[in-house]
Amino acid sequence: MSDKNQKKKYMNPYLGGVLLGLVLIFAFWVSGRGLGASGAIKSVIVAGVETVAPAHYESAKFYSEYKNSHESPLKSWLVLEMLGVVIGGFLSGAIAGRLKFKVEKSPKITNRTRIIFAVIGGIFFGFGSQLGRGCTSGSALTGMAVLSLGGFVTMAAIFGTAFALAYFARRLWI
Amino acid sequence: MKPRLILAATLVPLGLIIAAVPENTTKPYKLTAEELLEEVKSGTQFMQPDEVAAMIVAKDPSLQLIDVRSADEFEKFSLPGAVNIPLPDILNSEWEETINQDVRLNVFYSNGTNDANQAWMITRQLGYRNNYVLSGGLNYWAETIMNPQQPAETSPNEEIAKYNFRQGAGQALGGGMEAAQSSSMPAKGAAPAVVKTQKKKKAQGGC
Amino acid sequence: MGPLVVNEIISENANLFLAFIIGIGFGFVLEQNGFSSSRRLAGMFYGYDTTVLKVFFTAAITAATGLLFMSLFGWIDLNLIYINPTYLWSAIGGGVVMGAGFILGGYCPGTSVCAASIGKIDAMAFVGGLFIGVLIFAEGYPLWEGFYNAKFLGSPLLSDVLGTSRGLLTFLIILMALAMFWVGEWAEKRFARDNYKLNQK
Repeated sequence: MSDKNQKKKYMNPYLGGVLLGLVLIFAFWVSGRGLGASGAIKSVIVAGVETVAPAHYESAKFYSEYKNSHESPLKSWLVLEMLGVVIGGFLSGAIAGRLKFKVEKSPKITNRTRIIFAVIGGIFFGFGSQLGRGCTSGSALTGMAVLSLGGFVTMAAIFGTAFALAYFARRLWI
Repeated sequence: MKPRLILAATLVPLGLIIAAVPENTTKPYKLTAEELLEEVKSGTQFMQPDEVAAMIVAKDPSLQLIDVRSADEFEKFSLPGAVNIPLPDILNSEWEETINQDVRLNVFYSNGTNDANQAWMITRQLGYRNNYVLSGGLNYWAETIMNPQQPAETSPNEEIAKYNFRQGAGQALGGGMEAAQSSSMPAKGAAPAVVKTQKKKKAQGGC
Repeated sequence: MGPLVVNEIISENANLFLAFIIGIGFGFVLEQNGFSSSRRLAGMFYGYDTTVLKVFFTAAITAATGLLFMSLFGWIDLNLIYINPTYLWSAIGGGVVMGAGFILGGYCPGTSVCAASIGKIDAMAFVGGLFIGVLIFAEGYPLWEGFYNAKFLGSPLLSDVLGTSRGLLTFLIILMALAMFWVGEWAEKRFARDNYKLNQK
């Protein structure tokens, strides 16, 4: 990761935190809710299942529960927010000259290993986010901002587990 | 190093302030005494028995009758679909969602108008909307709806129409009322379901 | 008086449009802080990069303090905002599974989308994994439904549980966060890696 291409530096993290906090406040002020991410994945899956396998969609409990509490899977706050994230991330990367296809990992492992573990990590996270009713953005960050007990509990569980398993996963990163 | 110090220097004092200041839990909009007096003078809080009867007969879902008498009196007789909130309990937190909402039309009633009016004044002073008083209370209700006076033959059509309406309403309600009298269970059973749908619009969320 | 959409000051469609705008802001800030880099995110757990800690907790304390001040000035009604509910067992269980996913995959859903948007292939793989994970949960739902719905505590606030006021708790969290920042700065020097540059202002 040398600076041959004069890549722009990342923002100061404290400033970044304040900005993120302001985005969060704005979200609450406008919509009465904080940020989130995993819910959007859920919405897409639900919409997908509804299109591909409507009979199963009607019968299986998970989808019918969702259907009863939401009007349309894709007309969801989180899905639109996530689309915004794609644009925002892209803009930031473009401005900073960080747009590039690459696989990020520790130099000690192969790309293939990294991709495999990325998928595995995603599966775990996807499952866990549904079980925990939120991910780090929705439950931990937003939850902490409103002082919700659930937010703190989930955050402690995520970070605690990650710390505990860090030793075993160290080859992936360092 | 510096940003951290700036951050600390800003947030620690702000944190101290926010920790020291008592929590702001009052509802933002409360009426002043003058505003309340204006409303009392204009009498906008009253709903006539005819109006209420019409809504009951039409099964208008936005109507919510609230009986502010004691539980005993409520059990002996109550209007169809009414919820019992005895006046002394009106500020209990369990009823807050019922009396503080923007969706339904709450109509307080008692035997006369005194108690219902008091309930209205208390809730209105808190800034709650959509609360009304049944004009004349159950006494007037009995006179007009339950035992309407037959107008003279020469009365204007309006009067006769009103009488016919009241007769019909009385019969329709009479049937409902008997059911309420014989077993207060249906009335009570309806109450919990009703309370649920009155939820003030809350923010949706979840990740 | 916020929240705008709950008090019907703006329409539902305006709300959805603003969700998009808010998302752009979110994604932009995430990427600007390097949350599009899995090594940076994972670095939190090895000490060589504590950006996650700094950004995360600064955002949390900024937002918490900001919301309380706004409530004080009557700009927002905190009774109307969404507080995520607490289902104790699934909060812990889900958190544990997510923690494993975090350290193995190096992303979380928000950051993975952000990273995928700038071309990180491992992030795209993570997003794919997310879909699979959600699908597994959905399909096997009856198996874990009981656990999922267990120990519902409502939406309690930590301040209620500890018996303090919200302001006081926020102040304590500010102090705790600042202490963690100092530890983080120390850790970054102590655990720095040769093959990793912080690349920060």
